[in-house]
Amino acid sequence: MKRVLIVDDAATVRMYYRLILEEAGYLVVEAVNGVEAMEKSLRESFDLYIVDINMPKQDGYGFLRELRGRDELRQAPALMVSTEAADHDRKRAYAAGANLYLVKPVKPQELLVNCRLLLGEVRP
Amino acid sequence: MNPLLEQFLSETRESLQGIGEKLMQLENEPESAELMTELFRFVHTLKGNSGLFDFPELTRVLHAGEDLMDAVRDGKAAYCLPMADLLLDAMDYVGMLCDEIENDGVYAAAHAGDSVRLAETLRRMIGAPADAPGAAGAVSPSAADPGPSAEVRSLLSGIPERIRMDAYRAQTSGGLHCLVYSPVQDCFFQGDDPFFQARRTPGIVWGGIAAREAWPELAEMDAYNCVLDFHVLSEAPAEELKEYYRYVFEQLQMTTISPRCLILPQGDPNGGPVYEDFVGDALGLLRGGDIDALRRAARSMLELSSRELWFSSALRWLLLATEVEPENGVVLEAIITSLRTLAAPEWHVLAAAAGPQSPAATGVCAAKECAVQEGAVQESAAKESAAKESAVGEAGLLREETGAAIRAIVDVQREILSLPDEVAWIAGRVKAAAASLEGCLRSSGSLDALPGLRLAAESSVALLSAAPLLAWVEEYAEEMAAAPPSSPNAAPNAASNAAPNAASEAAPNATPATCQAEAPAAREPSAEAKPSPAAAAAPQPESEVKFGRRVEDVYAAAKSIKVDQVKIDRLMNLIGEMVVAKNALPYLAGRAESVFGVPEFSREIKAQYAVINRIAEEMQDSIMQVRMMPVSFVFQRFPRLVRDTSNKLGKEVNLVLEGEETEADKNIIESLGDPLVHIVRNSLDHGIESPEARIAAGKPAAGTLVIRASQEAGRVVIEIRDDGKGIDPAVIKRKAYEKGLIDEDRLERITDPEAVNLVFASGFSTAEAVSDLSGRGVGMDVVKTAIEKVNGTVHLESEKGKGTRIRISLPLSMAVTNVMIVESNRQIFGVPMDAVVETVRVPRAAIKTIKKSMATVLRGRIVPLKALNTLLGLAAQQRANEEDELAVLVVNVGDQQLGILVDDFHETVDIILKPMTGVLAGLAAYAGSALLGDGSVLMVLNVKEVL
Amino acid sequence: MAIVYTKNKAVFSDAAGAEEAETLLEWLGKHPKGKIDLGACVHLHPANLQVMMAAGCLVTVRSSDQDLAAWIDSALKTI
Repeated sequence: MKRVLIVDDAATVRMYYRLILEEAGYLVVEAVNGVEAMEKSLRESFDLYIVDINMPKQDGYGFLRELRGRDELRQAPALMVSTEAADHDRKRAYAAGANLYLVKPVKPQELLVNCRLLLGEVRP
Repeated sequence: MNPLLEQFLSETRESLQGIGEKLMQLENEPESAELMTELFRFVHTLKGNSGLFDFPELTRVLHAGEDLMDAVRDGKAAYCLPMADLLLDAMDYVGMLCDEIENDGVYAAAHAGDSVRLAETLRRMIGAPADAPGAAGAVSPSAADPGPSAEVRSLLSGIPERIRMDAYRAQTSGGLHCLVYSPVQDCFFQGDDPFFQARRTPGIVWGGIAAREAWPELAEMDAYNCVLDFHVLSEAPAEELKEYYRYVFEQLQMTTISPRCLILPQGDPNGGPVYEDFVGDALGLLRGGDIDALRRAARSMLELSSRELWFSSALRWLLLATEVEPENGVVLEAIITSLRTLAAPEWHVLAAAAGPQSPAATGVCAAKECAVQEGAVQESAAKESAAKESAVGEAGLLREETGAAIRAIVDVQREILSLPDEVAWIAGRVKAAAASLEGCLRSSGSLDALPGLRLAAESSVALLSAAPLLAWVEEYAEEMAAAPPSSPNAAPNAASNAAPNAASEAAPNATPATCQAEAPAAREPSAEAKPSPAAAAAPQPESEVKFGRRVEDVYAAAKSIKVDQVKIDRLMNLIGEMVVAKNALPYLAGRAESVFGVPEFSREIKAQYAVINRIAEEMQDSIMQVRMMPVSFVFQRFPRLVRDTSNKLGKEVNLVLEGEETEADKNIIESLGDPLVHIVRNSLDHGIESPEARIAAGKPAAGTLVIRASQEAGRVVIEIRDDGKGIDPAVIKRKAYEKGLIDEDRLERITDPEAVNLVFASGFSTAEAVSDLSGRGVGMDVVKTAIEKVNGTVHLESEKGKGTRIRISLPLSMAVTNVMIVESNRQIFGVPMDAVVETVRVPRAAIKTIKKSMATVLRGRIVPLKALNTLLGLAAQQRANEEDELAVLVVNVGDQQLGILVDDFHETVDIILKPMTGVLAGLAAYAGSALLGDGSVLMVLNVKEVL
Repeated sequence: MAIVYTKNKAVFSDAAGAEEAETLLEWLGKHPKGKIDLGACVHLHPANLQVMMAAGCLVTVRSSDQDLAAWIDSALKTI
């Protein structure tokens, strides 16, 4: 079963993703900030990360940079989600280590399609 | 309600609470960047959450709030008190919508206007232009626009044009209010500052001061005879203004005007270019519906005219009106015509005609409606096509959607790999990009390309350079564009991309429910009838998912859980029954010995009983713990309440909260809310003086209000203390006597501490008492009643000029009541131990009958006696024991002691008191009933009511 | 004291209370051409205000509190 780590400080948003992803058969783990996400990433491996930007303690950029810098870890794709739609926000996310950038609010279908693609799961 | 919405509402409440707290803290340290960041994050999170639902009003206000916080954080706007007020208002609004959503699932459409207004006001704080002024506000004037009086008109014309223009632009939906506040002549002697009050008027747009009469010679002037009138233009709702001026309402004259009444061109009526031609041309353009051309014409005319002319002022208004209400032909026409007459339009005359039905307006409006309809048609077409798509087959839709998405992901990886390599995490970046690309390859079924990708990725990692992988991506992307891979679902067909986009575009935000179990129903072709768009457009995952669902997730286990109170109440009832059932064991043990003659068995039962008893007690204790809440639950509203109220009253108050962590039963805590608010309000209203009066009395300008909670001997004690002007016992005594609450006799004997507590007597507070008395007493009997309902007591101490202290003492829990069992007429009754003072046996001879009432003397005090049988309407006489003594239960009623004659006393027991329900609820004589260990029912008396 | 008197000027600061009006009236009686400096003034009790209005005072420095300044503009002339 593919494991997805959701990193977002908003409980509602986490629940929203969780409902969509669990329905699709993924195992979902949550973290409320970058620090917690990093702890969990070191303890177990994930197949995909869904990361918010603005969070207390450590933001999404910080978390991704740290994650990508850990050579011992398997580098799974990361989806960054934010309310900002500007181009420089997008660029900043990519530079930090995201592999895709979606603008909130993400529709269930949009989220699901991209998760499945990044996980190589869409079948004919 | 679906769980996601529930989660949303609960997180929203928490955030609103957080925002309120942060704003309060910011008032003390406005420079704190940390607080500002936290505040921003709260608002940001809320906005993000609201976007998941279809609540545009919520999102609009939160978005504006977020932008404002962002501007403050970036130093583009300065944090200030009005900003805090505004944010608090906005959050109140959000809270209100949430309440409605919680209760009804939706909120009233009527709130849309408020949200626009709030969002605009928030944005105005940033200094940025409000988005589309007037677009969503009321377009047509109210049908009955009252003509403003000459006085109001002259007041309005005294307001600078710039301010009037801003106010008109805001198009406040409830209209604007002109206030003329004429304080009474001797108000200065009462320590009032009417100017201060006027300055703090809610929603104030402009304020001015005028003299009521011609000025006398300076030598004859009395500085303390108030002859000033205060004029205010406010955009706050009438209710709010009435509330603000409630103490001086008779000195206030309030007129509601339409924002249009502010269109009063001013200036020199002479000179300037030829008006006549312009008026003719402008009317032509207006009737032709060419507002843009009209604006151009007006603008160039304005450039030709001197600023000071009446004509120029009218042109400025015309330009503004075309911006604010371009659809309203009547308004525009009236302004244009006024250019000819050089007299301000008579708005109240025009008002009735200025609605959207009027001929001139119809043309423009109709065009607009048309556009709206067209939009609707397009939308429904898109929905239809979406439905068709899903009928054609989700696979088809998915294929197209997937193709576009794959291409997007590949493009992004290319962009990522083109970034400079010089970062510490380059290896991770390359690996992650490779993993993403691998996902795409697998998804599109292009497994053949995998080895090439892996090879390129490995060399990139080895070289710490994205170049090899980048080269692979570019080659692959080219291939993908040139010849769609064999697998049909990988084809990024550009032409068909539009369809799924349109489908998802047509869909408003996905309602969360569609992600859940209801999805199959929504997948039916009729999906477009109900807006559950995600289901219509989204492919349902179940079709391909072979995995198990809803796996448990041990990692996200929360440390606290939210439980419905009903469940805890049920536990409470069960443990109550348990305690009763367990109490049957000693009876059983007794029977084993006495009836069946097996003492060993009796001992074993007793031993078991001891164990069960301990467990039951611990269980009971644990359940009580679950019900415990900190008083902070009630206290948290006070910083805001005190701040708002004291601001309104123009007083300075330092609020000190102590012992917020003190805990008590949920019911107790909840019952505390209203009485405390009442007391605090009273303290602010009548206790703490205005800063001027305080300084005059030699006190610091700011008053102090302390609310302190603590636990004392199994009770919660709440103390509310202020250093205000206190209560004059003499005034209270006189008042109480006049109202017949005390007789002459008592009036002479009553001590001062006793007297001030008379404010709690029912019937003491009346409107008269409020205006006449400096003291409190506004509905304090309500406070007392509420507190006594939960077996609490309230006591007041006050020292005139020094302050007042109110002490509320409450039981920690209402669940277990200690009662004494008494017998009367061969029945048993419970009497709460709280009320019992002592039990005595009095010889019949010691009972005297005075005018039909019985009394006896106990330790030198006369104690009135009542027979329980008589009180309960039982015919039997009270029985005496062998020594001809009667059992007297001495109880406390208020501050008096009274003896109740009963037949006999029994033991005291702890019981779970259940209130009377159903038809029995009307029996005030009983506080409730309880089950006893032997299964019998005990009726518990409500001592106060029985007497 | 929230009002400091110089030769021909009354300089206000902070909030001027009601009790200051008496003195202000007296001073204006002796200095009918007296000027008013409200630069550092954040509030003044209306008793002071009406005394100044009766005397037809001229303001030389407006209050730096924009809200107060706007109110005063409607009552007193500024040079």
